[in-house]
Amino acid sequence: MLGAIFRDALKNLSGNLLRSGLTMLGVIIGVASVIAMMAIVEGGQVWLVSSIERLGTNLLFVWKKRLTMEEKRMFAGRNLKLRYDDALAIRERFPDLKVAPIIEIDAQVKAGERNYSGRITGTSPEFSDIRNFHPALGRFFQTTDIHTWNRSVVLGKTIAEVLYGSQSAIGQQLKIGEHRFTVIGVMEPKGEIYGQDRDEMVFIPITTALRFFKGNDKIRSMIIHVPNRNQMEEVTHKLHQFLIQRHDGVDDIRVRNQGDFLGAVDQTIWTFRIVLGGIAIVALLVGGIGIMNIMLVTVTERTREIGLRKAVGAKRKDILQQFLIESTTISVIGGCFGVILGIFAAYGFGNFVAQSMPGGGDWGAVIKPTAIVIAFVFAVAVGIGFGLFPAMKASKLDPAEALRYQ
Amino acid sequence: MLITLSHINKIYTTGAVEIHALDDLNIEIEQGEFVAIIGQSGSGKTTLLDIVGCLSHPTNGDYWLNEAHINKLPDSELTTIRNQQIGFIFQTFHLLPRKSALENVQLPLMYARATRTHQQDRAREVLTMVGLQDRCTHHSNQLSGGQQQRVAIARALANKPALLLADEPTGNLDSQSGNEILSIFEELHRQGQTIVMITHDPLIAQRANRRITLLDGRMIADESTESRTQPVLQEL
Repeated sequence: MLGAIFRDALKNLSGNLLRSGLTMLGVIIGVASVIAMMAIVEGGQVWLVSSIERLGTNLLFVWKKRLTMEEKRMFAGRNLKLRYDDALAIRERFPDLKVAPIIEIDAQVKAGERNYSGRITGTSPEFSDIRNFHPALGRFFQTTDIHTWNRSVVLGKTIAEVLYGSQSAIGQQLKIGEHRFTVIGVMEPKGEIYGQDRDEMVFIPITTALRFFKGNDKIRSMIIHVPNRNQMEEVTHKLHQFLIQRHDGVDDIRVRNQGDFLGAVDQTIWTFRIVLGGIAIVALLVGGIGIMNIMLVTVTERTREIGLRKAVGAKRKDILQQFLIESTTISVIGGCFGVILGIFAAYGFGNFVAQSMPGGGDWGAVIKPTAIVIAFVFAVAVGIGFGLFPAMKASKLDPAEALRYQ
Repeated sequence: MLITLSHINKIYTTGAVEIHALDDLNIEIEQGEFVAIIGQSGSGKTTLLDIVGCLSHPTNGDYWLNEAHINKLPDSELTTIRNQQIGFIFQTFHLLPRKSALENVQLPLMYARATRTHQQDRAREVLTMVGLQDRCTHHSNQLSGGQQQRVAIARALANKPALLLADEPTGNLDSQSGNEILSIFEELHRQGQTIVMITHDPLIAQRANRRITLLDGRMIADESTESRTQPVLQEL
């Protein structure tokens, strides 16, 4: 009996292909947008998480908090800045940790006729290991370079090419601002991360940077490597307390580990999931209203048929079932097409993002089976839900009146 | 007695106006009778058909069909009674479009929850009875009016109903096709099938063995043609 009803439903739907197709379109677009949006959000999450993890593992980030005017007044005279001393003190107090203090200077780099204006990073030898970012040619600077304020420089791959073309950069002399430096290394290609092209970085020893370009010992931030992943939280806390103590009891710094960033990503992703998923579900509901609309028309058109079926013995349940199966068939078929369209849309959009977003080269849509299941189940539920009212209406028709409906 | 209608009244209320469609009607019909109900439009014959066909309830009065007290039954049981006891034949055939003759005839069998094989076997059997054994796979729009009405008769007979209820069965047909349909009715009658046929045409009513005439919801005549039932008795 159910098989016969299902065949009837298919026959009725194929009898009016244009109408069935247009009705399905709402469901198709709804399901496709749920799948595409989910895939894009999941892809975004994978991309963000992997880019955080590519920073290196077991990392802590330390930087100065921005103080309000009031706080600045309140803490006037206390030792507040994040200083190179802080980095040295951490090394002494926590010998297990690798500490890379960082400062940044804007300066011009000149090599003969060619030059480059940009950001110079002053840091310590630990930076290379901590960030898993190594020289391809020559060497990174060493502790002796730090102690002697050595004027040696390590170039990012792109910068080396800009300044020296195909010539070897190692051993070349160049000027940063007014100071003469020797190139001791060229970094491996590493690509972009968070809009920063690591191939355009220029490194000099932090002591050299402080002495020749700053004239003080204020640093911008520190990256710290913790050997044991399980100690991340504990070390984060201890380090924070240690720095507060050094800063005369003022909490003017932030210490964050990757977990904190991943947590923030998670939160952001959930917001996107809810917003985009909500939009997609609204699209599906609109599709459902389309189904209801057409089913109401169908019931009216087929009033005489309903009357006849009731006259020859169809129970209310039979009529209800018949029209519910018809609306569900629309949503199931629409759902199938929607899944296919959604997968294409997701990959299409993934490619678009990968090509157009800076640093999005390895961005891709991630289609989870759960997203497909959710979209499909929701589509079927919409078909049943919105088909229910027209089907009830059909099942309640009075057979004598329905038979003579004009 | 197959049908007993006792003090049947049907009153329609449209706004403030009350229409007394049936007025204290008493009719008894025996098993095996071929009854024509005659009347002009507005005489109440369609209302009577709806009540006898268990499509609607009388306002008051009692109706027994095959010993079931119809006006005491809920709608859900009326559906079963229509399916099992009554075969409908309509003026406009009421075949389902986009379905073959066979599928149309299967419909009451499907609602009787018969197996698919039985549905098809029985549908072929009744289509053969009305002479359409070679039209099983034709869709209704591929059949002539007379053929469509014969499919409808086959459908009405599918569940071997106690009562065949025909509403102007020849109204949409030319006289030759109409004649064929009436011949089928006569044949069925000879085989013992109870038939109640509604018509406004006295000539067609002549083919039945009993004629009940309605006017303004009342019965004004009830005549029998013994001569026409005689051969049946002789055959028996």
